[in-house]
Amino acid sequence: MFPISWESVDHSLDECIKCNICTTYCPVSAVTDLFPGPKYVGPQAQRFREAGQPVSPDISVDYCSGCRVCNDVCPTGVKIAEINARARAQIVAQKGLPLRNRMLGRNDLVAGLGSIAPNLANLALHNGFSRFMAEKVVGIARGAPLPRWNPSGTFGAWMRRTRSRRLKSQEKVVFFHGCATMHYEPFVGKAAVAVLEHNGFEVIVPPQNCCGLPLLSNGEFDAARSYHRGNVARLAGFARAGFPIVGTSTSCTLTLKEEAPELLDMVDKGSQTLRAGVWDIFEFLRDLADRGRLRTDFQRLELRLPYHAPCQQRAHRVGKPAIDILSLVPGIQIDESHARCCGIAGTYGYKAEKYAIAMAVGEELFRFVREHSEGVQFTACDSETCRWQLEHGTAVPSRHPIEVLAAAYGLYDLESRKLT
Amino acid sequence: MLDLLVIGAGLAGLSAAISAVEAGLTVKVVSMGLGTTHWSAGTIDVFGFIPGATDTIGDPIESIAQLDPSHPYRLVGPEMVEAALHTFQRWVADAGLPYVGAEEARRNLRMPSPVGALRPTLLTPTAQYMGDAAFSAPMLIVGFHGLRDFYPQLIAENLCKQGLEARAEFLPWELLSDLVDRNTIQIATGLDDPARIRRLADALRGLIRPGERLGLPAVIGLERHCGAFAELESAVGTTLFEVPTLPPSVPGTRLYHALRNRLQKAGVRIETNMRATDFDASGNRIDWVSTEGSARPLKHRARAFVLATGGILGGGFQSEPGGRISEIVFDLPLTVAQDRTQWFHPEFFDPRGQPVFRGGVAVDARLQPLISVGASPAYENLWAAGSVLAGADPILERSLEGIAVSTGIAAAHRAGSWLAG
Repeated sequence: MFPISWESVDHSLDECIKCNICTTYCPVSAVTDLFPGPKYVGPQAQRFREAGQPVSPDISVDYCSGCRVCNDVCPTGVKIAEINARARAQIVAQKGLPLRNRMLGRNDLVAGLGSIAPNLANLALHNGFSRFMAEKVVGIARGAPLPRWNPSGTFGAWMRRTRSRRLKSQEKVVFFHGCATMHYEPFVGKAAVAVLEHNGFEVIVPPQNCCGLPLLSNGEFDAARSYHRGNVARLAGFARAGFPIVGTSTSCTLTLKEEAPELLDMVDKGSQTLRAGVWDIFEFLRDLADRGRLRTDFQRLELRLPYHAPCQQRAHRVGKPAIDILSLVPGIQIDESHARCCGIAGTYGYKAEKYAIAMAVGEELFRFVREHSEGVQFTACDSETCRWQLEHGTAVPSRHPIEVLAAAYGLYDLESRKLT
Repeated sequence: MLDLLVIGAGLAGLSAAISAVEAGLTVKVVSMGLGTTHWSAGTIDVFGFIPGATDTIGDPIESIAQLDPSHPYRLVGPEMVEAALHTFQRWVADAGLPYVGAEEARRNLRMPSPVGALRPTLLTPTAQYMGDAAFSAPMLIVGFHGLRDFYPQLIAENLCKQGLEARAEFLPWELLSDLVDRNTIQIATGLDDPARIRRLADALRGLIRPGERLGLPAVIGLERHCGAFAELESAVGTTLFEVPTLPPSVPGTRLYHALRNRLQKAGVRIETNMRATDFDASGNRIDWVSTEGSARPLKHRARAFVLATGGILGGGFQSEPGGRISEIVFDLPLTVAQDRTQWFHPEFFDPRGQPVFRGGVAVDARLQPLISVGASPAYENLWAAGSVLAGADPILERSLEGIAVSTGIAAAHRAGSWLAG
């Protein structure tokens, strides 16, 4: 096992003045006694974590969902979420990991397996008996919103199938699709390709790994390191050549930029080059708009859209570019959510012992949607698991903002999620 | 392009932003985390002590004339301070969080602190008002077993030593929460529930003696505070007041929420987790300020900028191990001595205060930062407000919130006039 390094968080630790703002805004601590709050589990408990300590003082750190609201509100810049992630990894390094967390961490493998026969996979997983057994045997909450494989095939298959029709251009971007777009929601990738091509970019989709975030969240740093190395090997060259690497899954892009290099102490040149080349898709589109390069030939879209910027999007520290861009579309009225977190936090809300906490955390967001539901057909959110949780908690269908933008260009049908 | 970028989401920054957006400007707020409002008692301290003197001053507004001409209050003028406080009162009243004070008399109130000291302040949330030492009714201070940092005996004993009549009681934790360990914000959120207020009232009624006013930790509701407080007061049947607690402070958080909500309703984006790291200027005009991001800095372009990053506590200054102390965004010169040995007097409670707390960014009469004292403004489109300003010792003077609100509003006015002109 690779020893967990604390180097980058050690100094940040001394910045904590114990003001407790993090604890008062922590959405998890607000609903359960099982998590005492970021200050206690982060900078305070950190004083008792020593290299080589035979027994970890931690139990409650596992109840940190990793949403990073604490980092967001901390007035002194303590890397609280990173301290917690490292502490969890230390526990995993010492005590090992349950099978369930290994599975959740390797969504790419599970998803890939299902994509061989998506209909069969859906049938096998999405029935009451399977979900009951999955909860009893493995500990995956039976009520949690697991995704469905897309019966019309993967995003990669679609790209290959439509190769001859894809735009060729001098200006190229690399698309990072992530596992969810590849296997469950290829239509999000299609919408992104359509928007990028509409703006004159050729979209390249090179081979790529899972970004490794589910592994990082579950404390499997060694495995995450090999995933990230794979992405550096396959993608850093594009960044070096000046191609922007654009992604629709905001947690994947955050991982490539920051989570992986920061938590894994990967300061190598390749990781840094990759980081500097990655863009969240609306961050990229807003940059185009700032330079007068974004096409604005929008159709009018009469749409009232409650929008939730997920935690991982806010952690990019790029503002809310999806709002900036969608505000340019005539007819769209955006209601901005200020809810802290939808609760699911990647794999957290899928765990049987955490499902109820995740739903209680999400209630703030669900209430916001209920209060803004008049005449609303869809909500919008940049992260797939958050969209699934939003739909689970509100029964209102949710869309990635890129789907909305593709519809505004007249390229996409929001209802059927198909290119027009 | 954005008219005004406000850097800082404390009381000064929020006041500047509200004032600007209500004057018709387009505004955005960026801040590194949330402001120090969350640590405050929620009161608006305007001017409690003249440095060197030990007696509380009577009329804070009138006493401004006794301050040094470089003091922020002297720069904006007593009329502006008073007008700003009225504006502030309108904002919070609109939000359902009314503030009161002995304004007609312009007299400082003396409010019990969490250790039972009496703190001079000019405006308090109505929920704290009846704790003023000027009222004669004896006090009953009630605490709760397991509530950290609120000890009713300590408060009552200290109040008695200062000639007030006060006693203490404890109630069980279960009245506050069903969960084991909760902080004051979480407790306040729980007490938004009317059923819990009724249970609390039932327990309190048994403790009160006729004629007593009842002091409770400031946890009576968060989002539904006013309703919860009124219900509790009427159900208990006696005068009620809140005593602020140590951070996290519920009254400070309510104040932050009230101002934040007003800004968000006006369409102002407040972006937290934004550490301002760099800027660019053409000549003496600032073009943009950039904040640190996950892969690349984010540039915020605006026509005008208000610096409200706070002082030493709020993080507006940084000092390096080598001794250099500087302003974090524009690297403006500070009036703080670079030699650390001059930061403090030998005595912790020196009545003159500690020199380092008086230091900050020197500004002209329009609140525009100066390159050096007596020089011209560093940038034509930059204003400063709040604890970042030099010339005041807010801790000693008890002037922190008054300076924040009045200079915040004044800076926005001046930026607005410049933009219009």
